[in-house]
Amino acid sequence: MMYDDFEGGYDSYPGGGYDYDPVEVPAENYDRQFDRVPEGVKEFLTYFRDAIRKGMIFEIQNYYENIFPKMTEKHFENRPWPDESAVARFVESDPVFLILYKELYYRHLYARMQSSLTLDQRFNSFFNYCDLLNYILSENKPVDLELPDQWLWELVDEFVYQFQCFSQYRGRLQKKDPNELLRLNENNKVWNVLCVLNVLHSLVDKSNIKKQLEVYASGGDPDSVAGKFGRHSLYKMLGYFSLVGLLRLHSQLGDYYQAIKVLENIEIHKKSQYSHVPACQISTSYYVGFAYMMMRRYSDAIRTFSSILLYIQRTKQLFQTKTYQNDQINKQTDQMYNLLAMCLVLHPQCIDESIQQALREKGYHEKMYKMQYGDLTEFENCFLFACPKFLSPSPPPTDALPDDYTKEPMRHQTQVFMDEVKQQKMLPTIRSYLKLYTTLPLSKLATFMSHASGQDLPSEIAALRTHLLCFKHKMKNIVWTKGTSGLEGSFQSGSELDFYIDGDMIHIADTKVANRFGDFFIRKILKFQELNRKLHSIKI
Amino acid sequence: MVEAMRQTVASMLKGIDRYNPENLLQLERYVEIQSQENAYDLEANLAVLKLYQFNQKYNLDITSKILLKALTNFPHTDFILCKCLLSEKMCSEDPIAQIIFLADVLECCDFQTFWARVGSMNDLLPKINSITGFHDSIRKFVCHVVGITFQTIHRNLLTQLLGGVDDQTLRHWVQKYGWKEEANNMIFIANQDENIKTKNITEKIDFDSVAGIMAACR
Repeated sequence: MMYDDFEGGYDSYPGGGYDYDPVEVPAENYDRQFDRVPEGVKEFLTYFRDAIRKGMIFEIQNYYENIFPKMTEKHFENRPWPDESAVARFVESDPVFLILYKELYYRHLYARMQSSLTLDQRFNSFFNYCDLLNYILSENKPVDLELPDQWLWELVDEFVYQFQCFSQYRGRLQKKDPNELLRLNENNKVWNVLCVLNVLHSLVDKSNIKKQLEVYASGGDPDSVAGKFGRHSLYKMLGYFSLVGLLRLHSQLGDYYQAIKVLENIEIHKKSQYSHVPACQISTSYYVGFAYMMMRRYSDAIRTFSSILLYIQRTKQLFQTKTYQNDQINKQTDQMYNLLAMCLVLHPQCIDESIQQALREKGYHEKMYKMQYGDLTEFENCFLFACPKFLSPSPPPTDALPDDYTKEPMRHQTQVFMDEVKQQKMLPTIRSYLKLYTTLPLSKLATFMSHASGQDLPSEIAALRTHLLCFKHKMKNIVWTKGTSGLEGSFQSGSELDFYIDGDMIHIADTKVANRFGDFFIRKILKFQELNRKLHSIKI
Repeated sequence: MVEAMRQTVASMLKGIDRYNPENLLQLERYVEIQSQENAYDLEANLAVLKLYQFNQKYNLDITSKILLKALTNFPHTDFILCKCLLSEKMCSEDPIAQIIFLADVLECCDFQTFWARVGSMNDLLPKINSITGFHDSIRKFVCHVVGITFQTIHRNLLTQLLGGVDDQTLRHWVQKYGWKEEANNMIFIANQDENIKTKNITEKIDFDSVAGIMAACR
């Protein structure tokens, strides 16, 4: 067995070999299990396996995206798919198929039966990923396997998701019995953060995807630097999706710098040969936008969210049917509207009219109003709803008290964000006054703002001046302009209201937006045409 | 020294190797060197904090230095990036809590409070003094904020914002940024009305954007 490659990391454990005992089903259960596999399912799995072996990509895609979920609904709504041993019989124990099958098997368990997952199932799912990687990465030539990109994306995303689940399960020590705890402590390498990082980095390295993206970004042919693995679609796309997996993982660990950095050479707003899996695009924008928001790069966050939300708006019908993928997409969409609303409160600026309208229709204006008036609880609730699940990179120490250790990372990131919000607390009030004037003496504004604080005017003015400096500082942020790294940019004041102080006088510059009639008329014309078309088609 | 190390360190931080705890000693030394030689490398410092985070063992002295160095790079948000890699508990204990307080005051641009407090934090002072050029870096940030906010500023106010500096030092900063001393104790910063003016966004409809719909309306 070659687990060493991926369980590795840099930990002081010698050797790194642990016992790998998949839970065996007692022999007499085999037949029962086997008999219980419905005929239709047997047939499906045989076809599925054949399609994969022969590399029939459209069939695989259909089996994966349509038939498998249908079969799940029909036969395995709330119970596991048959286990490996029962399936092995009628797929000639095809090892590659069995690994892929188990990936689906565990994914189904995580999706439908998460509360009853056993430790063995969590472990075995991890080992199955190791098996898959060993198969893909250990040969010195690309393996003969092709899978639809949708599957590859979900595979990588699921891998990070299961790490997230494990990390949360691992951190809840209150309900663990001593045996479970002992086994966990003995197996700290399973789902270890370094292993997970190592897996993603290995896929990135093997595919040369970074070089490929660099060449692609400069207009060249990525194949010229891809190498024999990177030219192969399986490796190329796994490499690309692993970058997005890293983006997610870094974000969940609070490392926003690495999160953005890992996407160097990817222009997320541009259509490219890598950007055809909607769920991946949406997830990418969600994490990128979130990282920008945490870095106080509101313009970049707003641009990122607006652009993907527009895309979602235009392709809405794609996400309306109820599937497990769309559930996630719709959840992330809601989260992004929340994040966008928060960014717009902190950094008011013009955005696309149809996004503005969506914010109105979805009732975000009330939330935004509350946040503008300094309602910190509203800010915190919005943040908690919209933020990623933050994780602790390592398990609690072996001698930790039986407590819940999963909430700390969440509290910490929330605290960091709320600190920022508190620093900016006075800005909306100041903004609302400044909006009314083109010039305003400091002393006058100080009087407006002084209601009942009982200080003398000079100290009021001094306090106000500090707030004004803070306003200027907070509204001038790095904004990406060009180049291949999302971390780069230049300082800009992109917010709609700006001002400067000349001695004791504030001079204000606002942005005035004229009504947009064009959009309005176009929408009405389209509506009218639609109505007209319907009227014509009515036969009396 | 720093330049030589910058190269070595950059190559140590590539790929999965950035999580190799064996690199830690060298990275920590690099933090010391940055402090001494008034150099700065955010990415390397974040890698140190990341290793601490993974092993749940923070060297308080190095962590403090990293945070103080992040203060010297205001108005960039490096401090936030560093803070996100710490833990809740650490942030509530000195000296980290003190440094976070300083960052908070700086973020609010309450420079008078900053200068008053930074001089009175006796247990933090040795650490601050071990960061070469710390005070001047903060003054640079002050000048940045002044530079984007004021067209003219009272001389006394600027002196206060810079931490009650003497006349000669004040002149040094005024000169450095190309500002001008004027009559009546005022200092001219820049002609802000050239950059900061009311914008009017009017609707522009070009032919291309309506050609489609016009064609459809026959």
